[in-house]
Parts: sequence; structure tokens; C-alpha cells
Amino acid sequence: MKLVILGVGGMGSISLSKTIASMAINRGLAVKSSEIHGMAKKGGLVEIQMKIDEGLSGVVLQGEADFSFVMNKDYTDYGQAFLKRDGRLIMADRDTVEGIVRDLGDVRFVGSFLLARFIGYQDVFREDDALNVLEKLKEGEKNIEAFKRGLI
Amino acid sequence: MKLFLSGNEAIAFGLIEAGVRFISAYPGTPSSEVLPTAVKIKQQFGIGGYFEWSVNEKAAFEEATAANFSGLSVAVVMKQVGLNVAMDPYMNTAIVGSIGGFVVVVADDPGPHSSQTEQDSRFLAQFAKIPVLEPSTPKEAYEFAKRAVDLSKKYSLPVMLRTTTRVSHSREDIAVGRIEDVKLKPEFKKNTDRFAATPHFRFLLHKELNNKIRAIKGKPGFRIFYNGNRLLITSGISFAYLCDIVEEFGLHDKVRILKIDMPFPIDELKLQEYVDRYNDVLVIEEGYPVIENQIIDRRRIKGRWNGFVPSEGELTIDVIKGLLRDFGVLEFKENTVAVKPPFKRPSLCPGCGHRSAFFAIREVFKNQAIYTGDIGCYTLGLNLKAVDTVHCMGASVSFAFGFDKAFSIAGDFKYIVATIGDSTFFHSGITPLIDAMHNKSRFILVILDNATTAMTGNQPTPANPFNAAFDGANPISIESTVRSLGVEFLRVRDAYDIEGLKTDLKEAKQYIETHSKPAVLIFRHPCVYTKEGLSLNPAFEDVYVDEAKCTGCKICINRFECPSLLFDEDTKKVTIDLSTCIKCGQCIYSCPYNAIKVKK
Ligand code: SF4
Ligand code: SF4
Repeated sequence: MKLVILGVGGMGSISLSKTIASMAINRGLAVKSSEIHGMAKKGGLVEIQMKIDEGLSGVVLQGEADFSFVMNKDYTDYGQAFLKRDGRLIMADRDTVEGIVRDLGDVRFVGSFLLARFIGYQDVFREDDALNVLEKLKEGEKNIEAFKRGLI
Repeated sequence: MKLFLSGNEAIAFGLIEAGVRFISAYPGTPSSEVLPTAVKIKQQFGIGGYFEWSVNEKAAFEEATAANFSGLSVAVVMKQVGLNVAMDPYMNTAIVGSIGGFVVVVADDPGPHSSQTEQDSRFLAQFAKIPVLEPSTPKEAYEFAKRAVDLSKKYSLPVMLRTTTRVSHSREDIAVGRIEDVKLKPEFKKNTDRFAATPHFRFLLHKELNNKIRAIKGKPGFRIFYNGNRLLITSGISFAYLCDIVEEFGLHDKVRILKIDMPFPIDELKLQEYVDRYNDVLVIEEGYPVIENQIIDRRRIKGRWNGFVPSEGELTIDVIKGLLRDFGVLEFKENTVAVKPPFKRPSLCPGCGHRSAFFAIREVFKNQAIYTGDIGCYTLGLNLKAVDTVHCMGASVSFAFGFDKAFSIAGDFKYIVATIGDSTFFHSGITPLIDAMHNKSRFILVILDNATTAMTGNQPTPANPFNAAFDGANPISIESTVRSLGVEFLRVRDAYDIEGLKTDLKEAKQYIETHSKPAVLIFRHPCVYTKEGLSLNPAFEDVYVDEAKCTGCKICINRFECPSLLFDEDTKKVTIDLSTCIKCGQCIYSCPYNAIKVKK
């Protein structure tokens, strides 16, 4: 499975990739990622490409990905470009993001919301795989709350 | 225990597992995460050892060398341009040889993504005649780190571990081994023939080094993959890319891959014998033609020497796919509609004190000055037109000196404003300032002190009262250092006090008009990129644009260029991006119509 996560600095894109990696490791699957961040820190693009149970490098090319997580709408077209024909774009709409920031206090929790959406679209990982990892995070409860909001 | 480690983190695990207990480093992308990981491992596993940042790479190298001469296994970590700074001790340590393990971890930056050069450090391994191991994946980075320690111990010479941005910043699930505390028994056995060798003994040491390299050559690190009849010779990240392409396009029976784990030294004869069995050979290696140049007869080889492989830029998967197509083993339709992410010019963070400093400098000197800049976040003073040169660490000061002398020997005078960060000042700015004082040069040096090494991820500087492990450290005062050199004109001010900065700059300007000495200004404001810096930063309740007053002239955006200032194409007015603005209120100085307002 090939994934791409696109966010801006400080949005938790790297944490999301680490959560997915832990889920894979817990299932005994090989996992690789490649991180690209530009020179600008705040507001700059953070791009993470991941391969689960395949490949030797963590690199994913445009037109290859099964899933594209887009955490900032400026990168929608770019995220779309990574998808293969039946690939799926995973995004949160504005209301969801604002709701999460308002209720949970940080935009970082949006990652867990997107993770729940992802769980619903594939059959390698199940809800429990995610919950097992999320509950061990520093702010486990808030992450789980955001996750629950994303379940479909 | 399986961990999801980056190449750099994996290197720290490998080194420490293999017994390394002394690591010195200077931060530089893409190498910066190795040392902090070592510090974390030390805390987590409760082991002894010294893992710390040094003032620069040369000092780091020498410190580690002495520790190594005491019998400890050591490592130094730096980026490729850092190795340039450490060249002197590096070359010498190679000749003198090591006692315990000695690993030189160098992270190269093909592309380049965040460096001045694309140089290939493997060449410098060959230059110093030390072996270099080149991992293709984070897992190999972990294994090769251990291998480097063992090889170094076995042959008593430093071993380079060369990684590149893509390996350093990739992650992989890696099963790490146990880390145990070992009792260290440092001992220095005096031997002046070796540790204080005169030229005569240097010759003997060189001979010894040549013998070691010859012995290592006998055990080439070649590995063969796949069964085709066209040969690809490769190493490092290019190997990982090639494997991905072979798997995806089913090229298993078309190509054979010769992977070279140790690009220097190579047994040239064995390599030539292997190459001679194939009619078609292509060499793909990230960086310079290091392996390629060690092939004795390159006439039938496709590579860099005949322009087949590009000689600059990264060898990305896309580039390699193109090479395989030209080589005749791969057919694919080019992804013609490659989408680029929306371009955002890199700029200083919203609310960064450096921006206020550059703004004030530009206001006072306009087009009158030569602006010499330096390496760090403040390179982005470029955007505020207050940086004309960026060369290498510390060159803002030496360039100011050189420009001043060039003009003054012609009887001319030019205003020169040099800007340098605090960490860079300690790294390489002090020595040219000594030169400038001693040799009567006049320019203004602005030290932009944000109390951290910001660009590379906020590592401590010698001015901080803490070190890499956040233990107590003795803070070194920048102002006392400057004063001790005899600098008379010295002002220190918070960079948010823009009016005050202008006053200081004007006075400094007058001073250099009448004195043959540098004037030094320290503009200080903590980096707002850190959680702490941000939470302590003064903030207004609100900062907003008064629509009635905003003329849409964009002067604030062009001259102050805070990324939170946006131009609304519909209203033709400026608005403030509330999701990134930190309400510092510094932008109000940039609007000539007083349209940007603050609410206290
Ligand atoms: S990281 Fe710190 S020093 Fe660098 S631009 Fe941002 S605020 Fe300024
Ligand atoms: S107050 Fe002005 S200068 Fe400060 S972050 Fe906001 S827009 Fe930028």
C-alpha cells in the first residue's frame, strides 16, 4: 500500500505517519517512509510518502498512491496528482477542522480524524489497530475523540 | 524491539550499540538528528558517554580524536560542508590512525535541498584514504554504523559513513539490538612518533595507512542482485530506487545489479573483471563518479564521464527511470502532467525578530550599503533586500572586511553591513572579527541573536545555559566576547524595538565614518519557532488592517514580507492570515499610511 501525507509545518503530519507506521509494525508489516520538508519552517509544505509491505525505498511517485491525506486545502491538487486511478483522497472539511480546534484545542488532532476515514476505506487495518496506537499517545484521549469523529 | 527510525536515528542506535561512547557534532541539515538521538538513547538506557554539540566541526573533530586516542570508540557527525571546516584534523587523523573505533558520519545533500554545494564526501574519503560505507536504506544505515565501528577497530583507521538527505530523512521499521552500559577505561599511551609525529614519521604513517587500505581492498563489498545480462553498478539510495523500479516493471531478467556497499577502497581489478563480462554497463551513483572513476577501463561504460548520467542534481526515481529507458531496458510513458505543489517562497517565520532587524537595516541604509549575509534562517534577509552575499559559515564578517579593504585601498569608502546569527558567530564569526579589529577595517556587524541554532531545528548555542541534554552549561556572553577584542562601539537591543534599532544603526554609521574599527550591534530576540519562545513572545490582543486606510499599495508585503500579510485580490486590500499571525504587531512600522493597527 502506498500513501502520501501532505500538511504544513506544525500540523502533525509526521505524527500521523508515525501512528500508521506503528499500526503496521504491530501487524508485522514492513513500513518505510520518506520525508521532504522545504526550507521554510512555519507554513511550509511537509510531504511524507509511505510504503507498507512493499518496496525498498519510501518514495511514492505521482500516479501511484492508494491514499493521499491532505491536511491543508492548498495542496489538494498536488495530493490528487499522487493518486492512482482508483486511489482515494482523504481530507477534512473546514467545519470539521474548526470543530476539532474549538473542542480539542489543537489542529494537530485532525490527523486522527483523517486516520479514521482511512480505516473505513481499506481492509489492511481495522479500528482496533488504530485505537491501540492512539491510546498510547501523549494526548491519547483527545486523539481518540478526534478519531471517533472520523469513523464512517 | 522494532522501532520506526529515520536514517539518522538509526545511525545513532548503530553507533552506540557498537560501543561508541563519545560523539561530537555541529548541526547541519541533513545530519542534525543523529546527535539528539544519541542523547535520548543515553538517557533512556542510562549509559555513560559524552554526546554533545561542539562550537564547530573542526573543534568537534579534534575533541573526538583526543577521546579516541584515549581508547574510546568515537564518532563525529556533520553535513558535507561541515567536513570542509574539519578538513585539517580529518586529514591528519586519517594519517595517524585511530585507536578504538572512529566513525566520521557525513550527510551529503544532493539536490541540493538546504546546502551551498552538492559535493560528494566519498571523494574526501578517497582523498584522505579512509574507507567509506554507503547505506541504501535506514536499516542499512543502522547496520553499516555498526560495521563502520568494527572495521575501524580492526584496521585502526577512521571510517566514513556517508549518508544522503534521502536516506537520513527516510524512516523504516528496524529491529534494534540491546544497548548495555560498558565500563570505560580511558588510557593514553604516550607515543610521540605517532601523536606528535615529525615529517619523517609522517611518511612512515602514510605508508602504514596505504598498507591498511590495501588490506581492506582485498575484501570488496560487492553484492549481486537479479539475473539479467545488462549490468547496473550502483550504491546508496540509488540502489533502493533501482530495486523499486525492477520490482514494479518486472525487470528481474533484464538487469543485473552490482551493489557496492563500500565505494572506497574498491579492488579495481576485481571490478574490472566483473565489468568485462558484460556488453552493456551503466553506473548510477548519487553524487560524483566515485565508483565510476575507479573502473580502470571506462570506454564501454555509460556513466558521467560520457554525459550519459547527469552531473548535477539529485538522481531521483524519475531521473533513474529516464536513464533506464535510454539504456534500453525500460519502456514507460512519461508522467507528462507532473503537478508541482503551490510555490511558497521560503521566508522568515511570522513574528521573527530577524525580520524587524533587517527591516530597520534596510530603512537606514537603503541602497547605500553592501549587505554581507551568512548561513542560517537570516539568509532569508534576502527577501528584505538586506542580504547581498551568502557564502559559507562566518563569511559575512570576512566578506565585510574584504570589501572594505578593496574599496579603501582605492581611496574609496562604502557602507558595509554584515549580518550573522549567534551560533554562526561562535562557529566562525569571531576569527574574522579579530582580523577586522587588528587590521583596522570599518563596517557594521549586526549579530542577530535569537538564542538558538534555529535553521537546523533549534539546537543550543554556546550562549545558552544548557547543552544538548538540557543540563546546565556555562553560557558564553556574546557581548563580553566582542568587547574583549577591543570593539568600542557596541549596542545591545531587543530586535522588536525597531525605532531603537534605527537609532543604533545611525550612530554606528557615524562611528564608522570616523573610526577605522568595526561597530558591533547585537539585535536580540528569542526565536518564535520554539514553543517556549512563542509563549513568552509579546502579543497584542489583536492586530488588524483598517480597511478604510489601507490603499492596497502592498508596501508592507514588499518591504516587511511577513507571510501572514496577504493581499486580497477582491478587495485590493491587505488582510492578516489569522491562522499564522502571532500578533507581534511588528508590521505596523511598515505601513506608511498607519493602516495596520493593534489592540492592546
Ligand atoms: S525559526 Fe526562529 S529564527 Fe528562524 S525564521 Fe523562524 S522565528 Fe526566525
Ligand atoms: S502581527 Fe504582523 S508581523 Fe506579526 S505575525 Fe502578525 S502579520 Fe506578521
